Amino acid sequence: MKTWFHSWRAAIRIARRDAWRSKGRSALVLAMIALPILGVSALDLTYRSSELSPAERAERSMGAADAIFRDAEVEGVPIFQDPPGEMHTPVKEYRDQPWPNGPTDVTKAIPAGSTVLTDRSGPAKLTTAHGLLSTDVRELKASDPVSRGIMTLLSGRFPEKSDEVMATSHFLEASGLSVGSTLSARNFDRTYRIVGSYELPDALAVDQVNALPGAFLSAYAKAVEKSGLSAPGTSTSYLVKKSGGFTWNAVQQINTKGVVVTSRDVMLDPPAKSEVPLYAKENWGSYDSSPAADAAALAAIGTVVGLAMLEICLLAGPAFAVGARRSRRQLGLVGANGGARSHIRAIVLSGGLVIGVAAAVIGTVLAVILTLVLQPVLEDTMNQRFGAFDIRPLELLGIALLAVLTGLLAAIVPAITASRQTVLASLTGRRGVRRSSRVLPLIGLAALLLGAAIALFGSIATESFVIVAGGSAIAELGVVAMTPALVGLFGRTGRWLPLSPRLALRDAVRNRGRTAPAVAAVLAAVAGTVAVSTFMASSEAQNRAAYEARLPHGAVSTFVLEDGGRDVPAVREAVQRILPVDVRADVERVSVGKPGCRPWDGGEGCGRYEVVLPPANECPLYATVPAGEGDPSERFTPEQRRKLITEDWRCDQTSRGGWVSVDSGLLVGDAKVLQVLGVTDPGAAKALAEGKIVTFSRAEIDKNGTIGIKQVTDLAGADRAAEKGKPSPGKISSIPAYLVPKDQKSYGVQLLMTPATAKAAGLSTLPAGAYFSTERMPDTEQRQKLDGELAKLGGDVEMHVEEGFVNESSLFLIALAVFAGLVTIGAAGIATGLAQADAEADLKTLAAVGAPPRVRRTLSGFQCGVVAAMGVILGSAAGVLPAVGLRLTEKREMIGYYEEAIRQGWDNGMSGPPYVPIVIPWETLAGLLVAVPLGAALLAALVTRSRGALARRAAT
Amino acid sequence: MSTQQPVLQLQNLTRVHGAGATEVHALRGIDLAVYPGELVAVMGPSGSGKSTLLTIAGGLDTPTSGHVIVENTDITTASVKELAALRRRSIGYVFQDYNLIPALTAAENVALPRELDGTSARKARVEALAALEEMGLGHLADRFPDEMSGGQQQRVAIARALVGDRRLVLADEPTGALDSETGESVLALLRSRCDAGAAGVLVTHEPRFAAWADRVVFLRDGAIVDQTVRSEADSLLSGQVAEA
Repeated sequence: MKTWFHSWRAAIRIARRDAWRSKGRSALVLAMIALPILGVSALDLTYRSSELSPAERAERSMGAADAIFRDAEVEGVPIFQDPPGEMHTPVKEYRDQPWPNGPTDVTKAIPAGSTVLTDRSGPAKLTTAHGLLSTDVRELKASDPVSRGIMTLLSGRFPEKSDEVMATSHFLEASGLSVGSTLSARNFDRTYRIVGSYELPDALAVDQVNALPGAFLSAYAKAVEKSGLSAPGTSTSYLVKKSGGFTWNAVQQINTKGVVVTSRDVMLDPPAKSEVPLYAKENWGSYDSSPAADAAALAAIGTVVGLAMLEICLLAGPAFAVGARRSRRQLGLVGANGGARSHIRAIVLSGGLVIGVAAAVIGTVLAVILTLVLQPVLEDTMNQRFGAFDIRPLELLGIALLAVLTGLLAAIVPAITASRQTVLASLTGRRGVRRSSRVLPLIGLAALLLGAAIALFGSIATESFVIVAGGSAIAELGVVAMTPALVGLFGRTGRWLPLSPRLALRDAVRNRGRTAPAVAAVLAAVAGTVAVSTFMASSEAQNRAAYEARLPHGAVSTFVLEDGGRDVPAVREAVQRILPVDVRADVERVSVGKPGCRPWDGGEGCGRYEVVLPPANECPLYATVPAGEGDPSERFTPEQRRKLITEDWRCDQTSRGGWVSVDSGLLVGDAKVLQVLGVTDPGAAKALAEGKIVTFSRAEIDKNGTIGIKQVTDLAGADRAAEKGKPSPGKISSIPAYLVPKDQKSYGVQLLMTPATAKAAGLSTLPAGAYFSTERMPDTEQRQKLDGELAKLGGDVEMHVEEGFVNESSLFLIALAVFAGLVTIGAAGIATGLAQADAEADLKTLAAVGAPPRVRRTLSGFQCGVVAAMGVILGSAAGVLPAVGLRLTEKREMIGYYEEAIRQGWDNGMSGPPYVPIVIPWETLAGLLVAVPLGAALLAALVTRSRGALARRAAT
Repeated sequence: MSTQQPVLQLQNLTRVHGAGATEVHALRGIDLAVYPGELVAVMGPSGSGKSTLLTIAGGLDTPTSGHVIVENTDITTASVKELAALRRRSIGYVFQDYNLIPALTAAENVALPRELDGTSARKARVEALAALEEMGLGHLADRFPDEMSGGQQQRVAIARALVGDRRLVLADEPTGALDSETGESVLALLRSRCDAGAAGVLVTHEPRFAAWADRVVFLRDGAIVDQTVRSEADSLLSGQVAEA
């Protein structure tokens, strides 16, 4: 044991000094190993630091209070809740009865003797330096000790008077205001002075303004209502402090009053699952990941880590081999002085150990420093302050050990090769052709066949991606193992080449031991890239085919559906001013009830309209039936369902492209709308002028050729009718209709009539937005300007510019190709260095027989190019196949899904069997196959000196 | 010549490289014994088998037939491991150049065989420093090879060849890369180590350096063609030099 230790010490000393002597090579290998370690360690640190302890979470949500009380909005009936208070449901089942829906008085549930702080918030449109900004206003006494910890005061002070507020730093930045400015809101005559800035440690990017309780929201709501709009909703919770806190039992007690409680004690000490009645309720289980899913995730992570380590080993291994070859005489000397094979192995392995340990230390230390330095940036990105800076030594040690392991693994093969050399051969520098293993290619072939069989089985017999991907990975490893044999095949092509490339190819093939790892490294990187590129190019083609334009190419639409459309003129004007607009078509929407109501607003005085569907035109699969009669589609056999969906016009839901966010796609506008949408049917424009309603859907036309629009003002009555499966009560206006031929695209517009027609039919309308056709596609600058302009209105403006299909993956594909190119050039460069170390004697002989100095350059260029070319060719072939396999699996899955959908009678808007193309990314392949080897060759030729060091004859 | 046991004994040694048409007889039936305190010079033209003789004597190569006995051990039957151990404990090598491991200091180079043998780093260093001191090289102890002159490197190599209990130095043209004055100082050191009890075999083609030896063995085509003791050698060499 002791002897072993002492001789290793000598080996490590030699390796350490050698690593220091060849700094360039060491730095390269060190970087290769340290970079992934740095990344993973930094990720671990960031993850652990951002993960809050229950105590930290409690402080950020409830400050110094013991619990938060919230109304469950179920009219105060008893409820079950989960321990964090995120989910709740009434204890009683309401299968065929109306669900309780209404407030209760939370304060009655608060135990006597508690300290209570009200926390109320609601949205408001605040005036800023630029315009209006929709902001959350929160009334909470921030200076109270109970709320301490929820808001972090950054500058200034907490509000003390009712005309004072403080704002989040994010709001101040977005609004252009600062501490000391005054602030008001639209429709509001009060002004407030900003006296401080703060942040919410858990939500840094939130626009929020804090006021004293009662200082803002009630007065603002009154002002908004006075201007004819509906008041924004607010939500209230209560911070409760009580000595002894709230146990899980206490929480359940309070739940009986319909109040949800988030308790600090429960957060710190959560109850067992069996003690949570909610989890026992049907459909309310606690969703933990299953052991199988965990195992699959672990296997996936293991595979990725394993493949990354393999890639690093394949890249770093040749570097150690270069080192061993360069110091061959030194190893021979150790042998002459009594070093046994184990000592030689120890020296080369120590090289891996030294670099691995250095990489581990540097990677980990840099990760800690980087995470510390970048903490503010990381916090901003994650939108959350870290808890304590959490260093987990065991996890970091584990990651660091991976570096040491990688270094050792990379040095194993060179160590064994070096120790097999006889001392005499090492001393004299005699070279022999080193035979590569004969077993390895056979194992590789077996793995390739097995992997391919598994992948084939996966794509034919199952629809499991895991099996296909796993099989492909095994096959890929098999190809890597077969590399030496495959490299041998390339040697036969050498006969026809001129001197330099012939020499390079022969040399590479005769010395497979050093060529193969480099080729394998290139192969693995290129195969991965090609596989992902092929898969992504295919998906892109599929997405392009499936892309549904929301408007004709280059057209623009804007909609504003809030505040009774009073911002619409400003929006229309801004678009026309900033974008290169050709035709502008204003549209309005039908409104029922108070003009200030938002669409689908169920508030006082609000209403809605329905487009009447004549019972005869109803698709039998989706027919409205009285409650309790079940799903109408279940009355049909699968064959009947398939027939209905594919053949019956009533069930045809084929899209005509796009969608409109107005109910039923009913718009009010003139013939310009048709023009912008590209509806060329002359009959449609004529029909509009004649006071008809133009429809793109046959189902709504009744037997009289009219379409009915029902105004529903009694919303509660409509809900009651719906529960019974009856039509809602309301006044119906019938308008003569014109059906546009089926081949016309409508981009989501279902029905269109002129304002005059609407007025004649007794329908009132509100401005909704506009469609625009453009002279040319708006550029980025114009769009940014418009976005800025619209943001000043502070409203919810819905805008769409139709740019056609935008491919988002191309940048990723380029990045991937660049990565593969870099790996290829790196691996080929390392292999070339190795070849140069070996070929010194040949070069001297060449020089001696009169070869010009540039042969040295061209030779090294070709050596590099040959390795790159072999790796890229093999890698491309090895990469296309798994991608094709995965795509075929996907196709089978999609077709299976489609057939099932038809059989079950669901129409998913699919117009036919799914289109799953397989596209080979020729541009990427061409770049990899031609540009990368060429670049590698040129680079190697450039960095090689023409003249070698003067030859010194080795002692023989 | 001596009643002592020889440190190195070569018995009917032959070495054939290749087979058939490419067959080369590098050594043909060599018999040679080297005793403690004796320095033997091996001379001969290029290709006469000088270096082969030395590599086989040190166990770096194996003979086709015959025996090599070092300190009463027949190394022709030893395993690779045993040979390595023998080189750590009994045989020291000095080559023409590049003798020292560039990553190690002089003292560490000298200590290397002892450390590989499992001696603790501290003890090996003490021994190495003693060996260097004894040869007047103590001031070089912490220098790296590239901080020393060629002559200094060769002298450190001789110190390494004889560290510990080793008594056999095999030197293959140790002065080949040095100027004649430095060469002389290296040979003087080798001579003094032999006088102190070591046995040395020196391969050289310079008669001037062979003059330091007790005996000169002449090789031609793999066979010993002549042997002289020191006094004879002097006259013989002067005659040869005159002829040349």
